[in-house]
Amino acid sequence: MPARPALIAIALSVAAVAQAPAPGRAQTYPDFESQWRSAGGGDAWDPTRPAGLAQQAPLTPEYQAIFEASLKDQAAGGRGNNYRGACVLDGMPRIMSLTAPMEILIQPGLTFLIFQQAFARRIHTDGQPMPDTEPPSFQGYSTGRWIDEDGDGRYDLFEIESRNFKGPRAMDSTGLPLHKDNATAVRERLYLDKDNKDRLHNEITTFDHAFTRPWTVTKTYVRERNPRWTEYNCQIAPGAVFIGLDEYRLSPNGRLKPLHEGQPPPDLSYFKQR
Amino acid sequence: MHKTTGLLVASLIVASAPTLGVEMKYPDFEAQWRNPTAGRGGNPWDTTKPMGLGQEPPLTPEYQAIFEASVREQKKGGQGNSRGSTCILPGMPKVMNFSEPMEIIIRPHITYFVPMRYPTRRIYTDGRAWPKDEPPSFGGTSIGSWIDLDADGRYDVLEVETRNFTGPRVFESSGLPLHADNQTVVKERIYLDRNDKDVLHDEITTIDNALTRPWTVDRTYLREPIPYWMEKNCYEANQHVLIGAEEYFVSADGKLMPVRNGQPPPDLSYFNAPPR
Repeated sequence: MPARPALIAIALSVAAVAQAPAPGRAQTYPDFESQWRSAGGGDAWDPTRPAGLAQQAPLTPEYQAIFEASLKDQAAGGRGNNYRGACVLDGMPRIMSLTAPMEILIQPGLTFLIFQQAFARRIHTDGQPMPDTEPPSFQGYSTGRWIDEDGDGRYDLFEIESRNFKGPRAMDSTGLPLHKDNATAVRERLYLDKDNKDRLHNEITTFDHAFTRPWTVTKTYVRERNPRWTEYNCQIAPGAVFIGLDEYRLSPNGRLKPLHEGQPPPDLSYFKQR
Repeated sequence: MHKTTGLLVASLIVASAPTLGVEMKYPDFEAQWRNPTAGRGGNPWDTTKPMGLGQEPPLTPEYQAIFEASVREQKKGGQGNSRGSTCILPGMPKVMNFSEPMEIIIRPHITYFVPMRYPTRRIYTDGRAWPKDEPPSFGGTSIGSWIDLDADGRYDVLEVETRNFTGPRVFESSGLPLHADNQTVVKERIYLDRNDKDVLHDEITTIDNALTRPWTVDRTYLREPIPYWMEKNCYEANQHVLIGAEEYFVSADGKLMPVRNGQPPPDLSYFNAPPR
């Protein structure tokens, strides 16, 4: 299977054929600059289906088993593959579910997606490739292209490709997993609804080795005309203790407790044994 | 003291309005800016003086004592008033230390300061009044006005006033404190250097009941010709773990470590399972 990342790359390059703007014409950008909220569907990755197994995610048998184990763990009170409680970043593509508002700002060469509950995403539209020195991240590195589909001098579509990830990442809070090799690639097509310019669609296709095929869902965002912002800072819940990604509880007398029955205690090999 | 604070701020707000009917241009602020002193042996609030007691801040006796206690505790290896290890937000004015680069984006109604790892600062320049229902925050609420000093049709200065805070907040990581009442008012005058347009000044005046007088510092930022961004999550980088009253470290391989020689391990009497 070493050729699988190459397969993802080929699939993306074929899919990324896009219409370039007519040279010499001053292009104008679509009316994206606004605060946007999710049109609904909660945190489930495919907003047309309920969260959990009903997502019918195209997972490989190995990752289907990992997903089912996550659901079982959550049903028993654990957090499964959902690491948000440890303030691990959601990363891509999960942040595009917009569980909190997002603002878009367009600059020549760079488009900003500014989130209330995540770091800003920067979509590089200057045509430059990703620098070789770019460290992997939860959000990845995003390059984008503005496309004028009908040649009227105004861009209609924003195509984005994101790569260079680290993990662990899940698609949603049920712990629907992405592959631990982090070779994910995400393609997005953002455009305003033809009949309602206060609705923004995002067709998101995720290529990942946890899947048997690319998985496309369409998220819809609603323009907020009177934006409000709340300051967000992820804080570990009172009484929770994380040692790395392992979660424990704190007893009222300040001692470490297991989160669930049978949980092994932390490794204390760095302490001198008495 | 609060009334005094209010009067001081009101007297400082005098600003020249732009010429009516003229389309004004914004100064060349839109760039990534970095603090040239960040990461070089600390990040002092007044960059002309060393961190800690060398800042000679105009603190009231009560807050001077709080500050000195923080410095003493840090010398012993504690955190003092600095809450960085808990991943609490630095808030204003400390966030203007620019421990990492920050980008400025200007729109007619809002100027954005987009930092690398903190919430985006929005400075409202649409003439709005102070909101009455805004919850207090570490970053506060910022209202600004653009000023054309020489009436040449291009703005020169962004004046910003920020209020409505929560805490605890400090000026710098030595734990130099702000008052627990969170009645802080921060005034900023942001402008390009006359002789070098790649240098941005932020004259920051902090009015706070922990201070005997408004405290002004001039912070300068350098334009970054090749901007770079890193995803920096406080929790990911945070090696501190608090179990009850005891602090520990987490090693690179995810194991618990003592922070001092001879520190006993945590009590594991609640666990029945064998160690992992």
